[in-house]
Amino acid sequence: MRRTDALLLVSGIAYSSFVAAESLPRGVGPEFAKFYGSKATFTCIGNPSIVLKSSQINDNSCDCPDGSDEPGTAACSYLDPLSPEQPLPGSLTGTTNTTNALPGFWCANEGHIGTYVPFMYVNDGVCDYELCCDGSEEFAHVGGVKCENRCAAVGKEWRRLEEERKQSKERSAKRRRTLVKEARELRRRVEVMIANLQEELKRLELKKGELQKKFEEAERSERGKVVKGEGQGGKLGVLLGLAKNRVSELRDTLDKVLDQRDDLQDKVDQLEDILKKLQDEYNPNFNDEGVKAAVKSWENYAAEQASGKGPELADADIMEILKEDSETSGINWAEFQEEGASDADIVYNLEAYLPPFARDYLHEKLNLLRVWLIENGILADNPTSSGESRLVTAAREALEAAKNELSSKTSTLEEEQRDLEKDYGPDDIFRALKGKCVSTDSGEYEYELCWMDRTTQKSKKGHGNTNMGNFVRIDREMADDEERADGKGLGKGQRMVLRYDNGQGCWNGPNRRTDVWLACAETEEVWRVREAEKCVYKMEVGTPAACEDVHEPGVKTKDEL
Amino acid sequence: MLFPSQLLSGRWTAVLGLLTAFSALIAPAVSVKEHDFKKCHQSGFCKRNRAFADQALATSSWQTPYHILPESRSFQDGQFQAVILKTINDQGETVRLPITVSFLKSGTARVTVDEEKRQKGEIELRHDSKARKERYNEAEQWVVVGGLDLDKEAKLAFEDKTQATVKYGPSSNFEAIIKFAPFGIEFKRDGATQIKLNDRGLLNMEHWRPKIDKPEPEKKEAEETTTEEKKEEEQPKGEDESTWWDESFGGNTDSKPRGPESVALDISFVDYEHIFGIPSHAGPLALKETRGGEGKYEEPYRLYNADVFEYILDSPMTLYGAIPFMQAHRKGSSVGVFWLNAAETWVDITKAKDSKNPLALGIGAKTSTHTHWVSESGLLDVFVFLGPTPQDLAKTYGELTGTTAMPQEFALGYHQCRWNYVSDEDVKDVDRKMDKHHIPYDVIWLDLEYTDEKKYFTWDSHTFPDPIGMGKQLDGHGRKLVTIVDPHIKNVDGYSVSTELKSKELATKNKEGNIFEGWCWPGSSHWIDAFNPAARAWWASLFQYSHYKGSMENTWIWNDMNEPSVFNGPETTMPKDNIHHGGWEHRDVHNLNGMTFHNATHHALISRKQGESRRPFVLTRSFFAGSQRIGPMWTGDNQAAWDHLQASIPMVLSQGISGMPFSGADVGGFFGNPEKDLQTRWYQAGIFYPFFRAHAHIDTRRREPYLAGEPYTSIITAAIRLRYSLLPSWYTLFRKAHLEGTPITRPMFYTHPTEEAGFDLDDQFFVGNTGLLAKPVTEQGKESVDIWIPDDEVYYDYFTYNTVPTSKGKKVTVDAPLDKIPLLMQGGHIFVRRDIPRRSSALMKWDDYTLVVTLPKDGKSAEGELYVDDGESFDYEKGQYIHRRFVLDSTAKTITSVDAEGRDEKDIKPGDWMKKMQECEVGVDKIIVVGAPASWNKKEVTVESDGKTWTAEVEYTPAEKGGRAAFAVIKKVGARIGADWKISFA
Repeated sequence: MRRTDALLLVSGIAYSSFVAAESLPRGVGPEFAKFYGSKATFTCIGNPSIVLKSSQINDNSCDCPDGSDEPGTAACSYLDPLSPEQPLPGSLTGTTNTTNALPGFWCANEGHIGTYVPFMYVNDGVCDYELCCDGSEEFAHVGGVKCENRCAAVGKEWRRLEEERKQSKERSAKRRRTLVKEARELRRRVEVMIANLQEELKRLELKKGELQKKFEEAERSERGKVVKGEGQGGKLGVLLGLAKNRVSELRDTLDKVLDQRDDLQDKVDQLEDILKKLQDEYNPNFNDEGVKAAVKSWENYAAEQASGKGPELADADIMEILKEDSETSGINWAEFQEEGASDADIVYNLEAYLPPFARDYLHEKLNLLRVWLIENGILADNPTSSGESRLVTAAREALEAAKNELSSKTSTLEEEQRDLEKDYGPDDIFRALKGKCVSTDSGEYEYELCWMDRTTQKSKKGHGNTNMGNFVRIDREMADDEERADGKGLGKGQRMVLRYDNGQGCWNGPNRRTDVWLACAETEEVWRVREAEKCVYKMEVGTPAACEDVHEPGVKTKDEL
Repeated sequence: MLFPSQLLSGRWTAVLGLLTAFSALIAPAVSVKEHDFKKCHQSGFCKRNRAFADQALATSSWQTPYHILPESRSFQDGQFQAVILKTINDQGETVRLPITVSFLKSGTARVTVDEEKRQKGEIELRHDSKARKERYNEAEQWVVVGGLDLDKEAKLAFEDKTQATVKYGPSSNFEAIIKFAPFGIEFKRDGATQIKLNDRGLLNMEHWRPKIDKPEPEKKEAEETTTEEKKEEEQPKGEDESTWWDESFGGNTDSKPRGPESVALDISFVDYEHIFGIPSHAGPLALKETRGGEGKYEEPYRLYNADVFEYILDSPMTLYGAIPFMQAHRKGSSVGVFWLNAAETWVDITKAKDSKNPLALGIGAKTSTHTHWVSESGLLDVFVFLGPTPQDLAKTYGELTGTTAMPQEFALGYHQCRWNYVSDEDVKDVDRKMDKHHIPYDVIWLDLEYTDEKKYFTWDSHTFPDPIGMGKQLDGHGRKLVTIVDPHIKNVDGYSVSTELKSKELATKNKEGNIFEGWCWPGSSHWIDAFNPAARAWWASLFQYSHYKGSMENTWIWNDMNEPSVFNGPETTMPKDNIHHGGWEHRDVHNLNGMTFHNATHHALISRKQGESRRPFVLTRSFFAGSQRIGPMWTGDNQAAWDHLQASIPMVLSQGISGMPFSGADVGGFFGNPEKDLQTRWYQAGIFYPFFRAHAHIDTRRREPYLAGEPYTSIITAAIRLRYSLLPSWYTLFRKAHLEGTPITRPMFYTHPTEEAGFDLDDQFFVGNTGLLAKPVTEQGKESVDIWIPDDEVYYDYFTYNTVPTSKGKKVTVDAPLDKIPLLMQGGHIFVRRDIPRRSSALMKWDDYTLVVTLPKDGKSAEGELYVDDGESFDYEKGQYIHRRFVLDSTAKTITSVDAEGRDEKDIKPGDWMKKMQECEVGVDKIIVVGAPASWNKKEVTVESDGKTWTAEVEYTPAEKGGRAAFAVIKKVGARIGADWKISFA
């Protein structure tokens, strides 16, 4: 069923010496001239068994099952899979669902470029100058229409524009080369950075190993001291008791806070449910601005909630803390009590005994406790026995710092390595544009495209910015637009499309997304933005980065229609 | 939900009410907010009359309290007049109800009953109401355009103190027996009873009475919101008065200044089992019973124009428009009634075996249909049509209410619509893409987003900076733009339309007599009162090109929301106690409202500058009887679902037989995203809607036909091109509808009124009288359809010319893979096509024609018609048209073309268009004779026309075994379409 577009645009000059145009029936293109040579009869091109009188050529009545007897009229234009099917003995399919042997009505367009016009445009009372500047397709003047020959002007203008296009393409190509150079430089920098990082990581690994050793040594010697430390058992015993109580208190409070949190969460959930139902079930046709505004705010809220989930304390972790201290969980108080003696340093290092997940959480709490103990004179400030433990602390801190540096450098390295593998388009070109943005004014909004990052709709009425999608990947699609005189359009052919997905959730619809279509231009420029359907945006953007066929300037590749 | 509200303080009731409202808000979504619309029991007068009917029908000795005062009667010039006395209490007090029975030349009888006290204004209105005192008596002015000439030949055949018999009608074969006591009228045709009025004694005209304030038994403050529950208890005896003086629904209270005033009547169709009409409802063509039971409705059919959001199917619920014209059919006979009342109306329908004659029970018993019509206010005004054919009904009803306006030809093309094309560039892009994909279309539409903040007659300057540039591009290929203009006018400062509406006092008023304010698309709005002639004149001025900047000669208009839709009003419409021009309450005129607005726009567009005069195009959503004279309607906001595609066909057929055939459903479905196969099938069905428009909701994905992808785009294109190739036939059918009131797509009962098996079929139809029989596929995955064949005629497949193995009264299975439209050609017809695919109908204007002749079974003759004019002006009224009649006569061995009206072409002074038709020699290209016998196997035939004789070549293709019929193609006939010609194939 697919219609094969057989219409070609052929340079008229190439065939100008082919045959004398006057001798040919109207509408016959140069490459078909050979079929129309005989004066007396005509043989259907695709059905040689059918021989017609030559008077039947262009008599505005379709005789050949392949349409070849009507090169100059619309009479055979229904021989087309797009028209309702009728029996047609002799055609390839036996029906009108067939292909015309001719590509169209040949419009010579002297002074411009000859072209085929679809048969259905012939004698319909409309001058199709953009195809047939000589007006010859309206030879019958139906309804009184007269199409003058405009080829001289059209051809001149076309050549002027073509020259302009050519020059523009050359300039664009130059700019593209600059971009490619920049991109190459940027890539090189990344590569250098990666090499440096790899070196540094090696060094850090070594350093970490050394520090680990130092720390372990310091700890070992310190532990000996702790065990042998002078007894301050009585005072520490009291402290232990107080600390234990305090921990219990804290635990109870945490428990209550948790309950309260759960209550509040329930309420939030209920309210969110109500709002969600309102959003789902309100009647959007009852254009109540109040309801619409409420639903919109809710959607923004929900979208934020979905994207911006803060680091949440897992309930399991809290429950772990809330467990009564025992041999297997939390602080084994008994251990200290049994030994009969303890050391304030233990309190300082209490957290070291906790499971790692609880450590961070309790760290802060215990610090507070420690401060409280000190302030209340329960714990001596700057205890005498801390001299050596500071050594351990310092060792650990040094080790931690080394570890942190290592992991942050590692992730930087990974990031840069990923970046290197990422698709930045042909010649890595978008590397040169990354981090830059272009925007355009469009009615009540300003639209912004940030290369390889996100697209944004900025309200001029102060409704805030809306994320229209985050960059995902580069695709290619066929564009099929009219050529624009100013060149600011996609034209026809394969174009790069940058996909920006999963933007802010949309009013009564899915998340916003933007397809950024690129076409060759001298500078970065957002030509137009359209929301053809809800929440789906199409940006047409010019950039030298999209000039891929620049090495062949001036070649017209478009196929009309 | 019931609350024990009597037990609660008012405050608590209010809170509970709020809660109820809130829980309704978060209740599970149903497709239609059904609770937004009244059921009969929530509409006071419906409930009262249904209760009245229940009581009457349950009482074996029921006597209607109405009788004619014998001495008041008179009969003159085809008009019977008398006074009906209604006994209103046990004391025998009566009220006087003047009755007029008019016998019209067309054979139609009209029964009108008024109420003397209201007529004379001898009543008191409550609440200082500014409303008129009479029963609404101006519906006729809006609806009836002719056919009211009295039948002076009608004569009183019999008369005594108990009854009068009038003989009337075409050959005096109609008879009306007016019985005085109890009052009733029986209509007979050829001696057999057809229709009876008040046979079951359900006539009820609620007469005026003053409100007598009874001591209120400890009423609570919360009374208003809970009347529903209260009255059950407070009603120990007598009539249910709870809804006499006011009633509430959905938080709105109707003040009812005139008290109860409903009119109701039972109408029985004797021996008629099949009834049709009273659109618009989303249900089967054949109306169902409404008093409950298996496969029946619980609710009466309702006629109360409303903006029904996401309507449900198979329901008697009201929709956007109303035509209170009902037809009853039985084998070989058709009768009908037209209930001329514009107020809220409910119709109950029951069917019963005749019990009048006990001997008839059993095998011989016939089923009769009993209907019960109830309107809230106004006159009792009913027209009775005695047929006997469906065509007679169409004709006589058409004489009364008018026929389909002759549309511009483009209106029959394909309309591409969406809420919304987002900018002028978007429109131009769609326009280009349609061309690029070789898909013809005529009109592109703009929904309300083109306006500057919903202010009609303005453009959004950001998105539509250059409407003229857009309009010119469309005009380049003969295309049109339709913009939406609704009756609500944004209530905002600095908007001249709003300022003028207010300052000139042209808006509908509220019950206090101030300008009514409500909510619609623009937020706070006022409504133009198109009942007011001054408002209409002002409205016309707004459409002048000089005022409506950006509009052009190819800009036409879409009137939506004209029920009217009022978002915060009762049942999403206006309060009934609003006041219109002339002091009429909105309740009196509600169902007319949409038509008056549609009419105002129509008249505004006839001429938008000095010297211009063209046929307007205005689409409406709301309509009433008579709207056909103005423009097309569509079936409103349907859904992208197979069952909605299915439902669209009976809905369109119902419009057709109810005098308003120019109708269609949104192709593709308004809400939701159709799957590709559904979209494709919808186009294949949509090409048979007289009004063929694709439309989509703003939240749907884009779905212009070229976006569907292959194979869908090609299949859809071929379907649209089929529509375009048949435009000459469609246009001819519109001409017929314009002249004769005939439906355009025709159900089986209409075309074959003697074949009972076809009466309930509403999924297949004939395209006018072309012999084309279509049955669109409306089920997912279905690859064949069973077409019921009404007669012994031969049927050919439209696309293959295969002879379909049919037999009368049987179904035949026709293959219908996705790319195939089930379409048959009945033998015996000649229909006309234009085969060259063009970009729009305007560009087909000068193309030659193809005639398709389908030879009948007996091979004897075939005939058909073609009507063509300039397609846009009113010059056809001055004879500037071509109307041919084609006949193939196998005996004479000729095919001829003669003027269908016997005119001589030479007598018509050709205007511009006629001249061009002659100059361009627009003629007959080829004639395809399907089913041509072997005698057609010849080289050539002779053509005679314009005083010349020549030969035309014939190509004969013999029949193929197992299917294709033989056919002959006469090539290059060459005769002018406007000229007489004769082809001899001897």
